[in-house]
Amino acid sequence: MSRPISRPAIIGALLKKELTAYSRDFIYLGLTLVVLIMFPVLFHILPDSVDETITIAVSPPVEVLVADARDAFIAMGATEEQLAQLDELDLTEAEEGLLLVEFEDKEQMARVVEGTLEAWETEAGDLVLSDTEAGDEKPKDAERVNLDIGIAFPASFIADVAASKSGVSVTVYSDAHVPAEIQGAMRSFVRELAYQFAGRELPVDFPEEEAVVLGQDRLGDQVTLRERMRPMILFMILLMETFSMASLISTEVLQRTVTAVLVTPAKVGDFLAAKTIFGTFMSMSQALIMLALIGGLTAQNWSLVLVVLLMGAIMFTGVALFVGSAGKDFMGQLFYAMLFTVPLLIPTFSVLLPGSVASWVRVLPSYPIVDVLVGSMVYGATWAESWGSLAYAAVWLVVLYVAGLMALKRKVETL
Amino acid sequence: MSLSRMWKVLKKDLALGPRSPIFLWAIVLPFALTLIMQVAFGSLFDPEPRLGIVDEGDSEITASIEGMEGIELTLLDDAEELKAQVEANDLDAGLVLGVGFDDAVRSGEKPTLEFYISGESYASNRIILSVTTIDLVRELEGGEAPVTVDIVNFGRAGLPISVRLVPLLVFYALVIAGLFVPGSNIVEEKEQGTLMAMLVTPVKTAEVLLAKWLLGVILATILAVVTLALNGAVGPNWPHVVIVVIVAAMLSAMLGVVAGVFAKDSSIMFGIVKGTGIFLFAPALFYIFPEWPQWIAKIFPLYWIINPIWQVSVMGESISTVWGEIAVAIAITAALGALAWTLARRMQAQMAGQ
Repeated sequence: MSRPISRPAIIGALLKKELTAYSRDFIYLGLTLVVLIMFPVLFHILPDSVDETITIAVSPPVEVLVADARDAFIAMGATEEQLAQLDELDLTEAEEGLLLVEFEDKEQMARVVEGTLEAWETEAGDLVLSDTEAGDEKPKDAERVNLDIGIAFPASFIADVAASKSGVSVTVYSDAHVPAEIQGAMRSFVRELAYQFAGRELPVDFPEEEAVVLGQDRLGDQVTLRERMRPMILFMILLMETFSMASLISTEVLQRTVTAVLVTPAKVGDFLAAKTIFGTFMSMSQALIMLALIGGLTAQNWSLVLVVLLMGAIMFTGVALFVGSAGKDFMGQLFYAMLFTVPLLIPTFSVLLPGSVASWVRVLPSYPIVDVLVGSMVYGATWAESWGSLAYAAVWLVVLYVAGLMALKRKVETL
Repeated sequence: MSLSRMWKVLKKDLALGPRSPIFLWAIVLPFALTLIMQVAFGSLFDPEPRLGIVDEGDSEITASIEGMEGIELTLLDDAEELKAQVEANDLDAGLVLGVGFDDAVRSGEKPTLEFYISGESYASNRIILSVTTIDLVRELEGGEAPVTVDIVNFGRAGLPISVRLVPLLVFYALVIAGLFVPGSNIVEEKEQGTLMAMLVTPVKTAEVLLAKWLLGVILATILAVVTLALNGAVGPNWPHVVIVVIVAAMLSAMLGVVAGVFAKDSSIMFGIVKGTGIFLFAPALFYIFPEWPQWIAKIFPLYWIINPIWQVSVMGESISTVWGEIAVAIAITAALGALAWTLARRMQAQMAGQ
């Protein structure tokens, strides 16, 4: 007579078997390690800032333009107040997102835009030009300034347009790859400057600025690509585990080792419980390792992030149970798994693209998981703001997990 | 060598192919990837400022923006809908042009310009859309601008991302159809024992492998041409395009045969493709990032098939401009063929020993 074995002990023994089988699956073990190394490396390569400015070169410097105009304005009988306004002129004051680099010589500016001369900014903020083709060396401790657009004003530009002279002309030098809309905007920008100096008021009124900007104004505080990628990487980790888990189950069904397991005191329920625990544990543990490597948990979001990751891990385990229960060979199982995982991947693209998500994408089971991850990790969403998506995710979790469980149970019982 | 026996093997593979998920994936992939890359990632790499307009009075501003390059225009009927889309960052900015707006500007009434900006819109997009709109309002006012602006362009305009993605899409068509299909087909036959069964008939190993290679060449050629056509890269010089694609399919299918003969089972086959993936994939990246030193791409074997496709189909060059690359590709194919034959003899010896 043997001593009865407890269910936890049986499940524990099955989990040990799962771990051994997993460690022997060199393909997926290797891929898991590659992913755990590759994703953090990729993450840290991505830019952690958003460059939302348009850098333009101008010649001559604004100071020269103003000095020239000052003499003309005095000759035209300008008041002290008008002269003071002229002295304080800043071409970019009304245009956040424009950065000016000033050149004394318009020929040099044109050569920088053309790419035959390089512009460098030293730590002291000075602009240094070097002709590498002529053998000039790169200045020390300087950063290259990429200039694709340069505006060459005539020195008497302000005075000429203020005096309504005809034939005033400005040349905009541009690299041919600069998009048409930026070239067009530069043309409009110069024309508007001229209208302003000519004293021609805008023919329209503007509402208050607060009424113009809709939504949270993120000017200067845009979400970086690195921040956007963080939830996407975590989601990918959960999804990738579907492949290895499905492969393990598939092999077990194909080789009928499951029937060997079931002649022991283990029951189908123990087998399914062990698969669920192992799949969830593997997904979750990899997601936690990834979180440790790429960061993203804060005092405010940690509980929400961990809960949604756990929900995702169980959901993808359900998918793996379903895919694996088909018991296909390696290639068959691989492509069968892709059939299910590729559609589930679609919501992650919404993280990269601006704007709201298409309604058909919102229906997909993985959408609420991605939504909560992005909301909590990127936009600081709270539990109260996320409960709707969590509830929706829970519904899909139950549907997918039960479908996977039933499919595998049926398969095991018919072997 | 019997062509008739080879044809029979090929006919069997073509008939049974559609049952294989890899075969089906190879067919679906050009359509799926074109959709994903061009629709989703195309707009990701080269985003254009997005402007929405509610035009209640046939304004000239709308007509002018419609004719402009580089601004993604959406016309809407309802101002509230426009504001909602701007707030959700579906649009960078929105403009409401009421009835009689143009006349009000011309008569000097100074109407209020209902212009909305999304809080998540980049500063550069805000500038582009706002200065462009103001300039168009100035044009409505009439009168001569106080300045003439001349634009001088240097160099040649770069190709749009939708075009630079074409080599990547063709690469996937060639690798899945040319490499994966024949490779996995050989491995599956080995695993299921049908290869050994076939070899006890009068069919010879060389005939089987040539049939598998032809399967890859046919499928890869069709799918690569379909991919190019879907991306508008098959022009009047289509016979040249077909020739360079056939050469490319010959090389990729030969890679598939080598992998299939070498791999003992499906996992090893998968491991080979995954392991060498970046090595094969690398040249396609140099078309997406033209600023990278282009000579590096020549180190990779698939450069010699991707570049002729790029030059002939995308750039519209004649086949005579790429004969050097084609010669290298054929030489690589021949070398791989010799390798496949050596590996096949080893495989045959192993099977005979079983």
